[in-house]
Amino acid sequence: MIPVAVSGDRAASPWLRRLRFLAAVLRARPAFALGYAIVIGVILIALLAPWIVPYGPMVADPNVYLLPPGPRHLLGTDGTGMDILSRVLSAPRVDLTIAVLGTLISAGIGSCIGAIVGYYEGERTWRRAVSTAVMRAADVLQAFPVFVFAIALVAVFGQSLHSIIIAIAFVNTPIYLRLMRTQVLAIRRYRYIEAAYVAGASDLSILARHVIPNAIAPALAQLSVNIGWAILLTAGLSFVGAGVVAPTPEWGSMIAMGFQNVVTGQWWPSVFPGIALGLTVFGFALVGASVEVLADPVRRRVLSGTLG
Amino acid sequence: MQVLRYIGRRVLFVVPQLFGIILVSFFLVKLIPGDPAVMMLGPTASEQSIADLRDKLGVSKPLVVQFGRYMHDVVRGDLGTSWQTTRPVTEDLFQRFPATLELITLGLLVAIAIGFPLGVAAARRKRGAVRRFADYYGLLAGAVPDFWLALVLIFVFYTLLGWSPPPLGRIDMAVIPPPTITGSLVIDSLLAGDLRALLSALGHLLLPVLTLGVINAGPILKMTQSTMERTLNSEFIRYAETCGLPRRVVLRQAVRAALPSVLTIVSVLYGFLIGGAVLVEIVFSWGGAGQYAVQGVLNADLNPVLGFVVFSAVLSLVIYLIVDLLYFALDPRMRG
Repeated sequence: MIPVAVSGDRAASPWLRRLRFLAAVLRARPAFALGYAIVIGVILIALLAPWIVPYGPMVADPNVYLLPPGPRHLLGTDGTGMDILSRVLSAPRVDLTIAVLGTLISAGIGSCIGAIVGYYEGERTWRRAVSTAVMRAADVLQAFPVFVFAIALVAVFGQSLHSIIIAIAFVNTPIYLRLMRTQVLAIRRYRYIEAAYVAGASDLSILARHVIPNAIAPALAQLSVNIGWAILLTAGLSFVGAGVVAPTPEWGSMIAMGFQNVVTGQWWPSVFPGIALGLTVFGFALVGASVEVLADPVRRRVLSGTLG
Repeated sequence: MQVLRYIGRRVLFVVPQLFGIILVSFFLVKLIPGDPAVMMLGPTASEQSIADLRDKLGVSKPLVVQFGRYMHDVVRGDLGTSWQTTRPVTEDLFQRFPATLELITLGLLVAIAIGFPLGVAAARRKRGAVRRFADYYGLLAGAVPDFWLALVLIFVFYTLLGWSPPPLGRIDMAVIPPPTITGSLVIDSLLAGDLRALLSALGHLLLPVLTLGVINAGPILKMTQSTMERTLNSEFIRYAETCGLPRRVVLRQAVRAALPSVLTIVSVLYGFLIGGAVLVEIVFSWGGAGQYAVQGVLNADLNPVLGFVVFSAVLSLVIYLIVDLLYFALDPRMRG
């Protein structure tokens, strides 16, 4: 590639230039800035929750059940007298932990298997048979009704945080497997892979040092969107009673607890956690959209063109 | 002829896949802790009666033998019995699947009605209010949980305004449902000429269908928009513009070319919603197939779960086949 001087500040450190570019992007696309703000805000709330909540998130005061939003309980109280604001603020701890861990595990396992499968596919050895078997297994897994599959997995491993994480990791793994395999199939034809092979590098080190780093970008772009999606799935699991155990502050289970109250007119126990949940997923989706643009050289150039 | 060969090949591929699905779900479901014999007889049952029942159910035999027996029954159309409803699973599913299908079919029609025109409109301009609205709608529809939106709609339209019936099932308690022919209450009451049942069924459909429509319009919108953008920049559209065809004609050509990919996303959503509409079903006490399966998992009632998986797999297969046939109708390139 021919180096092209884009702006005058070539002497500036690359980090500073990158930061300036990011700032310019965020000015041009305020929605992306909103996304980053939401995600950072939710992460901060998750970290600081125990110190910023006004009441204990699992402490029920039976004297004040179903209090509408007011000065003492800003978002009101639920049917058992727990403070909704405190619970809404404590929920990201659970929801983010499950969603982030579940997504990272599926991305890790899925990408590794996908890379290996893609690397060996088409060889005339037993490895080819294994590759085919893995892909057919992924087909079968993806043909399952996702939600029922996830509930069944939680039922198998028992109702706990671990099993929800496992369930989410399981249903997401085929996505990364496919993404990685497609990438690796293209990359393994390049000369630098051949060069590494001729230089005597083992398959494992070629995979780890040359194939995976070059193929990982689409999988990374998928991460953020997938975290949002995992939060929705977690909430859905809790809503049917297959997620976190009842008094644990979690958005989906809070919505479920307020279900009957909504019908009789007390909307606040269900509506507030839903808004928090929707905003969070929205934020992760925006970050995902920004990564998609920034990671794609063509769209990135279009964007920097409009930046002037 | 070509179509027939294509369908034949598809069905051939599906048989091993179906077998794989049943195999995996069988062993997965068998791993769920909880002894059906104990659950059926209750906590006061004697050791002897539990052992007898286990023998009768065949759950004391090795898993491989159980699987063989299950497959043997499945190919004969017998999916076992549910201990919760004490009825054959096949009967239960034939009663519940039409409820789910009616719901998601109408929901997706609403989703298309919202998403498709909006996507086409958004693809025609780079900026402006419509474009901005479409961008945010796509992201927000994917971020809002459907069961929460359902609750909000219930609060507004039932609790506050009183426009819609209570979220308790598919038809008013006081209304006698029409005789079952297709299983869809709307079609059945039309066939029976029962206006009261029809209105009641439509009223009950209103909110759940709206929920599914609003949420699923998001992906349809995104797909329509991106395909339309690509099509509008393609050479044949530029050629049509260069020829001086009126904008309306050019747009109609572009829409026509974008239809196959919209059809793809609709079919994917349909397959997903068979099990994915379960949360909305629960909120409205719909009594659909997804709800049946979830109840099965939560109560160690395994046959309904397996039956649901088999049914929805077969159903997705049928849907994908129909979609493939529609491709042939929509896309002249497929006909060779």
